[in-house]
Amino acid sequence: MDELLAGIEQLVLVRALKASFVAYPIVNALHIMSIGALLTSVWLMDLRVLGAFCSLPYAAFVALMRRTAFAAFAGALVTGSLLFSVRASEYAAMPIFLTKMTLILLAGANFLVFMRVCRARGVEVPAGGVVTVLAVLSLVLWTSVLFAGRFIGFLN
Amino acid sequence: MQSPFNGIRRVALTAAVILAAATAAYGHHGWSWTQDGFFELRGKITAIYIGNPHATLDVDAEGEVWRVDLAPPSRTIAAGFTEEVAKVGDEVTAIGHRSRDETEKWMKASRIIVNGKTYDVYPDRVPPA
Repeated sequence: MDELLAGIEQLVLVRALKASFVAYPIVNALHIMSIGALLTSVWLMDLRVLGAFCSLPYAAFVALMRRTAFAAFAGALVTGSLLFSVRASEYAAMPIFLTKMTLILLAGANFLVFMRVCRARGVEVPAGGVVTVLAVLSLVLWTSVLFAGRFIGFLN
Repeated sequence: MQSPFNGIRRVALTAAVILAAATAAYGHHGWSWTQDGFFELRGKITAIYIGNPHATLDVDAEGEVWRVDLAPPSRTIAAGFTEEVAKVGDEVTAIGHRSRDETEKWMKASRIIVNGKTYDVYPDRVPPA
C-alpha cells in the first residue's frame, strides 16, 4: 500500500501538478465547482423527494437532478483524485480523509438502497417513512462529506 | 406526506454540531492556529516537500519529529528555497510560530536557515531585525 501511494506521487503528471503554480489552483477550483453542483443537485433532489416544490413534475425534475449529480460526482472524483495524488501517502494516513471516503461509500450505499426501494414499489412518486428516512440520510451524508472534505485542509 | 422541514431541521442541527466540534481543532490555513509569540526550532531535516498545496519540512529536534509548514510552492521557491539547496540530514533553524496546541509538534515558519543561508518564505512576518 505504501509503495502504491509513493508510486502515485512519482507519476509524471502528478509531479507536474505538485510543482505547478497554475494547474493546481485550477484543479482545486474545478473540484469546488463539482462539489458545489453535486451538493446543489442532491439537496434539490432530496427536498423534492421530501415533498418540497410540489409544482415541479417529480419524474422529470428528479431525473434532471440525478443526471446533474452524476456528472458533478464524476468531476469531483477526477479532480479530487488529482488533489489527493500530490501527497497521497500523507492524505491516506489522515483520519479525516478516511472519514470522508467512508461517508462517500455510505452515501453511495444509501443511493442504491433508495433506488431498490423505488423500483420495488413501482409507483410514480415514492413517499412514506422509508423514503423520507433515506432522503434525509442522503442530505446528512452528502453534507457531511462536504464538511469532512473541507477539514482535510485544516487538520493534520 | 410528511413535512420535509423536520428533516431540514435535523440536517441543520447536524451541520451545526459538526461545525461546533470542528472549530475547536482548526488550524493549518493562515496563522490563526499559531501562537502570537515567535518560536525557534533547531534540528535535522528528515523530509523535504516542496509542492502544492504548501511546502513542508519534517525536522528531528532532540528525538521529536516536528512538522514545519512553509509557504505555497510559488512563494517558497521565490524565497530561494528549492530542493537543490537542502537535503535530508541538514541542520535547520526554523523561525515562526508554533501551534497553540502545544501537544502538537507543529509550527509554521516565516524564516528558515539552512547551510548558513537564510530564506524568508513570509518576508512580511519575520522577526524584526
